Amino acid sequence: MASVTSTPVPTPLVTSSFAKQIRANLQTYGLIAALILISLFFAYMTHGVFLNARNISNLFRQMTVTAFLSVGMVLVIVTGNIDLSVGKLAGFVSVVAAVFQAQIWPQLLPNQELLTTVLTVIISLGVGVLVGVIQGYIIAYLRVPAFIVTLGGLWVFTSLILIVTQGKTIPANQPIMSQIAQAYLPNDLGWLLAALVVVFLVVNMVLNRQRKTRYGFALAPIYLDVARTAFFAAIVLAYVYIVNQYNGVQLPVLLLAVVAMVMTYVSNNTRFGRYAYAIGGNREAARLSGVNIKRNIFTIFVIMGGLCGVAGVVLASYVGYGTTAAGQGYELDAIAACILGGTSTLGGEGTIIGAMVGALIMGSLTNGLQLLNSPTEWQYLIKGAVLILAVYADVRLRRNR
Amino acid sequence: MNDERDIILDIQHVTKQFPGVRALNDISLQVRRGEIHGLCGENGAGKSTLMKILAGVYPHGTYDGTIMFDGHELALGDRSIRQAIEEGIAIVYQELTLVPTMTVGENIFLGKEPVERGAINWDKLYSETQKVLGLYHLDIEPHAVIKNLGVGKMQMTEIAKALSESAKVLILDEPTSALSEAEIDKLMEMLETLRDHGVTCIYITHKLDEFFRVADTITVMRDGSVVTSQPTANLTREQLVSYMVGREMTERFPKGNRQPGEVIFEVENLHAMPPEGGDREVLRGVSFNVRRGEILGIAGLMGSGRTELVMTIFGEYGHITDGTMQLEGRSITIASAHQAMTYGISLVPEDRKVHGLVLIQSILKNISLANLEQFSTLFSINNDAEMNESMKFARSLSIKAPSLQAKVDSLSGGNQQKVVISKWLMSRPKVLIMDDPTRGIDVGAKYEIYKLMNDLAEQGMSVIMISSELEEVLGMSDRVMIMCEGRSTMTLDIAEASQEKIMALATKTVVAAPLVSIPLSL
Repeated sequence: MASVTSTPVPTPLVTSSFAKQIRANLQTYGLIAALILISLFFAYMTHGVFLNARNISNLFRQMTVTAFLSVGMVLVIVTGNIDLSVGKLAGFVSVVAAVFQAQIWPQLLPNQELLTTVLTVIISLGVGVLVGVIQGYIIAYLRVPAFIVTLGGLWVFTSLILIVTQGKTIPANQPIMSQIAQAYLPNDLGWLLAALVVVFLVVNMVLNRQRKTRYGFALAPIYLDVARTAFFAAIVLAYVYIVNQYNGVQLPVLLLAVVAMVMTYVSNNTRFGRYAYAIGGNREAARLSGVNIKRNIFTIFVIMGGLCGVAGVVLASYVGYGTTAAGQGYELDAIAACILGGTSTLGGEGTIIGAMVGALIMGSLTNGLQLLNSPTEWQYLIKGAVLILAVYADVRLRRNR
Repeated sequence: MNDERDIILDIQHVTKQFPGVRALNDISLQVRRGEIHGLCGENGAGKSTLMKILAGVYPHGTYDGTIMFDGHELALGDRSIRQAIEEGIAIVYQELTLVPTMTVGENIFLGKEPVERGAINWDKLYSETQKVLGLYHLDIEPHAVIKNLGVGKMQMTEIAKALSESAKVLILDEPTSALSEAEIDKLMEMLETLRDHGVTCIYITHKLDEFFRVADTITVMRDGSVVTSQPTANLTREQLVSYMVGREMTERFPKGNRQPGEVIFEVENLHAMPPEGGDREVLRGVSFNVRRGEILGIAGLMGSGRTELVMTIFGEYGHITDGTMQLEGRSITIASAHQAMTYGISLVPEDRKVHGLVLIQSILKNISLANLEQFSTLFSINNDAEMNESMKFARSLSIKAPSLQAKVDSLSGGNQQKVVISKWLMSRPKVLIMDDPTRGIDVGAKYEIYKLMNDLAEQGMSVIMISSELEEVLGMSDRVMIMCEGRSTMTLDIAEASQEKIMALATKTVVAAPLVSIPLSL
């Protein structure tokens, strides 16, 4: 028999120590630091106006449309694809919604506002999903690069918007329709939701520790878990406290939070999500591991389409009109939010929470510059510079790790 | 021939510390001018770290100790990598660093193209290329595009590129791991030519035979220290191996104790076209079978269709145009990796970095990737079960890592390969196909993988192993199937197989010839 005994091997440990977690999330935390810096800067420059309840409330509401788009965009970029059509698709959905609201329902189903608004929402989401199915099919199964397909889509929807609107602005400011992007929750309901979230965070922490103990895994020190839970709970409570000073929790922000949480869960805790990251990390390895790459990418574009539908409805409701310029340039904002939030342009890496913070940074810049009455012609220059600077800082940070 | 004291490179008490790891521990090493200096050691022994210091990847000041090079202290500063090249230290890494779409000449002069009045002087570039290639008797066309060359010529081009910088010391880091036997012969000749030209060469490889062919001196490293450094003539192969692993290794191949059972998987007259189209068949009639609890070796030269065969069986390569596959007596067709897995067929693919691993992800996610269905529903993954199950395999294969959360690109080659194997074992296959499972990994890790293969076969698994190393095929298999030009030429019982017979069958198409008539000359 063999005369060789293998050298003693240290048992692989299962530690997910806090230090390691911090390092893994360094980028997200660095981003939060950047957000705080930007906020402080604008707060100082605007003598506090930037941080008052009304502005915070508006700021969050303003960013929702592109934030919906970036939620989907993260997964698209993670698989190594791109979607340039999302802005114009959301715009197209918004004019379709406006046409139904202003022109079709008043003739077909007069005085049925609640019903027709619900129908408008369903149709809008359907349009988004349908476009996702078509683009996804062409990309995944007919193997045309996503860049080409969605660039084509961008032009197609630009045209469709002009055809549908015939160059006119169409009102979408019917009372119920307006509620979608403009309603606020009563203060008490806001607090109730906040309390539920906090309870959920605590229960989740406890259950998690229990399960880990049952499997005999090493536990992170309790104070670290508590600190983390407390941190997130504090953010939620602080947010509700601030916006309750001004009208309350905004309905579209709540909607965004739900969508972002669901998609975060999907990306971390389902096969579908895991496969997306594996495809982006190494397509060949994923393929040979039995991952159905075509179906996965197809599904991601369908989800992206659906989210464009959501964004389109919120856009129509927020602006109150379907216009020929609807959604112009939103795709670039969405992509920038993802990249700022740490999504790798090479694929395989990126989180939805990061993209949300990225969207918030972009939104804060726009909002802050508007408050300062800085000339429009300078705003894009500053946004561009911040984007490049932020990614440069990130590159440096990673290299030093 | 050379003056014993003419030391070109004198490494004195070098220590390199990484967070938590001492990669080099007080290393001292001397390299004489004009010699071929073999350097070996298991993965993780510190060879690469030492070479990276010489190449300027870790500049002066990030390590302790001194390095004297050609009579002065080597102090590589800010532009350390470029500086190392200017000093005359050239390194050829294991992974090729050529631009595949450019020509040989363009690659050799990349970054130092001869320029006249702002434009590249192409005539000069190609005539210089010709000169460099001619100097070392390299039969490569300067205008050839890299991607159209074989791996061997790519490697030569890489070396020519390094030499075109007028290198005094050439470092070769496992240059032969992707080469065929014939290409290796060529490379060995080239090294001897270089020695005649006075170029000093530090040669790193896992293939110890190569040392005995060309090296003047051999240095063995283990766990960040130099274990021994002496003239090749003073060493035997067995001594070398025991220096490397730090223990006596009397057998390279552990002997298993197994009785193969009935035929479980059978392939009959398989024909297939390449996936990218074209009218040339990649498989032109392959037949073989594997029994329960057997290790079947597949031998053949590069390009014989070995990898194409197993990828086609796995449903991820060619279009099958003819032939049948039978698993446990049932006729099956396989259209995808997923389907292959449901039948209980798994494939450890050829190149772990390209086909096996998601390098930016953790060990955990890599192991579970192919097996998530075991512990998930459509809507959720049981993370704890995933961790628990992955841990079992990581432990039983002794994967060395700080935790399962460590990214696989931080692991050594052997450990990376164990991650790939863990992934496929977790799918609990009946037939495990391993495509060159020990390529580029050290002796110790190889031995562990061999033992594992024996264990698996003893437990009743059927193992199909492709190998480029004939000794490995002979040492591990119960039977050997030999391929040549897309055909299976013969399956030999291990008792009747020899290196000569296998090579004869792999290089000549012998259709259904009786054993006795096989020419034994090579």
